[in-house]
Amino acid sequence: MKEPVNIKGTKSGIILVLDPDMPLEDLLEAVKTKFTSSRKFFGDASVALTFEGRKLTDDEKFAIAGVVSDNSDLNVVCITEENADKEEFLKKALKDKLADLSSNTGRFYKGTLRNGQVVDFETSIIILGDVNAGAQVVSKGSIIVLGALYGNAFAGAGGSKNVFVAALNMNPTQIRIGDSIARSSDSDSKSQKETGPMIAFFENGNIYVEPISRESLNDIHLD
Amino acid sequence: MGEVIVITSGKGGVGKTTTTANLGTGLAQMGKSVVLIDTDIGLRNLDVVMGLENRIVYNLVDVIEGTCRINQALIKDKRNPSLYLLPSAQTKDKSAVSPEQMRKLAEELKEKFDYILMDCPAGIEQGFQNAIAGATRALVVTTPEVSAIRDADRIIGLLDAAEMDRTDLIVNRLRADMVKKEEMMSSNDVVEVLGINLIGVVPDDENIVISTNKGEPLVGSDTLAGKAYMNICRRILGEEVPMLDLYRKDGFMSKLVSKFKKKELK
Repeated sequence: MKEPVNIKGTKSGIILVLDPDMPLEDLLEAVKTKFTSSRKFFGDASVALTFEGRKLTDDEKFAIAGVVSDNSDLNVVCITEENADKEEFLKKALKDKLADLSSNTGRFYKGTLRNGQVVDFETSIIILGDVNAGAQVVSKGSIIVLGALYGNAFAGAGGSKNVFVAALNMNPTQIRIGDSIARSSDSDSKSQKETGPMIAFFENGNIYVEPISRESLNDIHLD
Repeated sequence: MGEVIVITSGKGGVGKTTTTANLGTGLAQMGKSVVLIDTDIGLRNLDVVMGLENRIVYNLVDVIEGTCRINQALIKDKRNPSLYLLPSAQTKDKSAVSPEQMRKLAEELKEKFDYILMDCPAGIEQGFQNAIAGATRALVVTTPEVSAIRDADRIIGLLDAAEMDRTDLIVNRLRADMVKKEEMMSSNDVVEVLGINLIGVVPDDENIVISTNKGEPLVGSDTLAGKAYMNICRRILGEEVPMLDLYRKDGFMSKLVSKFKKKELK
């Protein structure tokens, strides 16, 4: 007998080949069985989901995606339409979505980063602590330090320049946004004076660092 | 063809990095092209002492691993256009580099620079082996303390085993007042124990602390330590330079002046 649900995996996504005639209830049950039994196999990857073999309404698609994420450790990032050039399409859809996520979602990191420590995040990051000289924070999105920034902060590590670096006390060694680099001035590199909250952003080919104010926040573009 | 000199000591905190920074700067001031290599992977300092930390993009490990070209990692000094720094990596450890790779790197840099100074990490493990790999000449730094001398002696043995062409001694942080009172070993006492050529004596000088914190080597300045380092540079170039008189009796005037200077610092 032909299986009601077949799973085809690609590098960046999963294609569900569905039985065209089975009632939706039974189909959902079949999807559930399928993913429960192979939970280990799929792991906790971020994937894009595509359907084949059956016309589905948006509600039905969401229902199936819900069953998939409930019964596996997969992180369903997006649902994509059936497309001739599936592999390319899935890859692009996943990349776009992840890029979007990196600047528009964030994580917290609690603790002080010391000399030689590096943290690297796919998303924006909020550090609850200081970033000491010699430490490095890398993020594909923005970086907020709720403490003092003395070390290096690299925002937009995926290439995005619509990101920012903010800190309550801004004395960084270097700030990078996308592929631009700004370094501290030589004259006051050793004096660790309190600066008050400041924000660094990219505009017209330069990185600017300004006190946080209504005006400076107006200059920030996130997409 | 340039010369590769390793600055080493065995013991930590005796002034290897300060010495490297000052000798490199001094040689550059005398018109030589110089590159300083910080081989202390994981605990880099030379960039801070040179005041170049904020310019680091690539480092020694990036060069060795082929992530970038040598020229991309070399940082030009703020004041001396013929002086460059190859900083160490902070997030790796000593095993990221092998002696063979360091030897190759040194060979390559020899083509372009008169002097390549290797700032060696403390210890006798892989970091030390990496630092001495490409060198043909060594400067052993010690303070006039028994523990530092003991470690220097061990290092000299290892340098001999590595068939270094030439090994000279720098006695650092000598306090003439204490030597006079026979509370500290004199440089001659140290030479007597270690039995290698003394190339310079650097007095204990509070200006060193100031210069290190500022990130501006004081070689060539009108301080005792600045003069002592410049003299060592001239001796490295082969000049005959008499040893600085660290024991001269302070006259009434100079005592007065130094008192005023101290007040200003406070």
